[in-house]
Amino acid sequence: MIHISFEKRIYSSGFIRMSITICAIIFALLTGGVFLYAIGVNPFSAYFNVCSQIFGNKWGIEDLLLKMSPLMLTGISVALAAKMRLWNIGADGQIYMGACAATWVALTFGGSNNLTLLPMMFVAGITAGALWIFIPAFLKAHFNVNDIITTLLMNYIAINWVDYLLFGSWRDPNSLNFPITALFAPAATLPMIKNINLHIGFLIGIFIILLIYFLLSKSRFGIYVNIVGNNPNAAEYSGINKKKLIILIMMISGAIAGLAGVIELTGVHHRLQQNISLGYGYTGIIVTWLSRAHPLGVIFNAFFMALVFVGGEIMQMKAGLPVAMIYLFQGIILFSVLGSDVFAEYKLKIKRTA
Amino acid sequence: METTAIEWIVIVLAASVKMGTPILFGTLGGVISERAGVINLGMEGLMLIGALTSFVVKLYTGSTILAVSAGAFAAGAATSLHALVCISMRASQIASGLALTMFGTGVSGLLGDSLTGKTITPLMDIKIPLLSSIPVIGKIFFIQDALVYLSYISVATIWYLLFYTRVGLNIRSIGEAPAVCDSIGLSVLKYRYAAVIIGGMIVGVGGAYFSIVLTPFWVDNLTAGRGWIAVALVIFAFWHPGKAMFGAYLFGAALSLQLRLQLIDINISPYFLAMFPFILTIVALTIATIRNNKKRIAVMPASLGEAFFRGEKH
Repeated sequence: MIHISFEKRIYSSGFIRMSITICAIIFALLTGGVFLYAIGVNPFSAYFNVCSQIFGNKWGIEDLLLKMSPLMLTGISVALAAKMRLWNIGADGQIYMGACAATWVALTFGGSNNLTLLPMMFVAGITAGALWIFIPAFLKAHFNVNDIITTLLMNYIAINWVDYLLFGSWRDPNSLNFPITALFAPAATLPMIKNINLHIGFLIGIFIILLIYFLLSKSRFGIYVNIVGNNPNAAEYSGINKKKLIILIMMISGAIAGLAGVIELTGVHHRLQQNISLGYGYTGIIVTWLSRAHPLGVIFNAFFMALVFVGGEIMQMKAGLPVAMIYLFQGIILFSVLGSDVFAEYKLKIKRTA
Repeated sequence: METTAIEWIVIVLAASVKMGTPILFGTLGGVISERAGVINLGMEGLMLIGALTSFVVKLYTGSTILAVSAGAFAAGAATSLHALVCISMRASQIASGLALTMFGTGVSGLLGDSLTGKTITPLMDIKIPLLSSIPVIGKIFFIQDALVYLSYISVATIWYLLFYTRVGLNIRSIGEAPAVCDSIGLSVLKYRYAAVIIGGMIVGVGGAYFSIVLTPFWVDNLTAGRGWIAVALVIFAFWHPGKAMFGAYLFGAALSLQLRLQLIDINISPYFLAMFPFILTIVALTIATIRNNKKRIAVMPASLGEAFFRGEKH
């Protein structure tokens, strides 16, 4: 009989970790390829086409960076919560509520067309994102109610709320009954980066990640977060107000996701509509996992997951595949990365016994 | 003829049992898995896989038995991925469950794309002789389809299995103290694999119920978040099959009221009505957690969420 067991590695390094993650991603792409093959798409030519489309011209890369913006923000949003062993699965809902609050500002004050409109939309969206996670945060801090389930359920409430507005009072009378609001005033448009077709949301994303990185590694606040995240009991003894910190961290996490909503709204759509987020909040979980909640890793992994998104969109247009393909690939990638983690710490040992 | 108030209530309650049944199956699957110490957050995805598989089999063979078993086996196969990753590979059960939900949503959306709009004939109700003639209760519980009866049997079986048999005792002990069980010679691995995969199959039956009874045509994402309600109900039911039944019908009532209120001319937006079950879930989860916190002996399986490695401190 063959007996398979794990044996602890004496030596493990960042290099081993990275090679294992890369192997896991290759494994995931091959497995995903089996599904593509099953529905009659040649996976190798599909992957080749996607890569040449994205990296073969300027628009492909611009598109990639455009998709990276919300993923960097949801990634850092989930990662920040993860630092305290909290789960924000509700970034999607916070995106919707952030976009919703910003839309209210644009529709109410849009006529004035002045320079304060855009900042007001940002403030509204960020506040809405932070407030939307307040109930789960409060319940977690005071009663230890499962934050995974509550933050997730808030997504369904947010989506129904936005639908209520889009199918109701906010619907543009000239939209031919489509559930969309009127286009915003030009003052509500996010400025573009010079010379390339990309809004400054990308730079905001990088800025927020760096900000969180320095806050976590260089400030007293960061020390508290690390203490509570690594050893909750030690936190109690050192006199940190854990409840307050949980609520604060979750609200910052929600605020960042709300910010992503405003950026998608003002940089891409310029009106409120359904599918403002294509599950960016859930992708943020994968980004966090791939980067092991390290803020700088979020940038790199948001790039990788943006590749999956843009690849999926290209397949949608070329081969008519549904958007669900993106979720399938995300599931497979997360599964194989999770499964591979064990090999960083352990070796497989195969013994033959009689 | 006008329906009287009592008749209306009976109709709503009978519908609550129907709407609650898939959630009940989901909760039961979660109870088995979590009693052995493994959280399964992948229910939404598993239900979608079960729903799609049984829809396809029903569409092409017309057989309900084949359809439901296929749904259960497909969900079981998908759950074995979760089992492999978080039992053998020792990964986070939470992240793995989320991966399962993404996978299930993706695979059902991709493979179900060409089926959108196709319809099947829904399952017929069967009157149970004698029992169905009990006033009120008979009409609510015993004029239902075969899968509802299967859910009654499942509740009783799982209740008996978990609390009155050796196997059930072993499962519960492994959920509480895997290291102790390992030291007395129980295979933690085997029991956990079995509990997670069988639990996943039961969740798959819940998924099948969506597509072959409640919504007999294929639409993308037809579970619409109800898998997550089942995840929360496992906690609300204190990991007990009997309380799971009560909780599932409570939520079934919320969901069927939502549909009823949409039909009669009431001045509440359907979008608010659609939010209601999710708000109720958060409230129920909070109440259950506060009650659980107050108990001197926690009901929650002590090792829930932790991987077990022999010979290592964790």
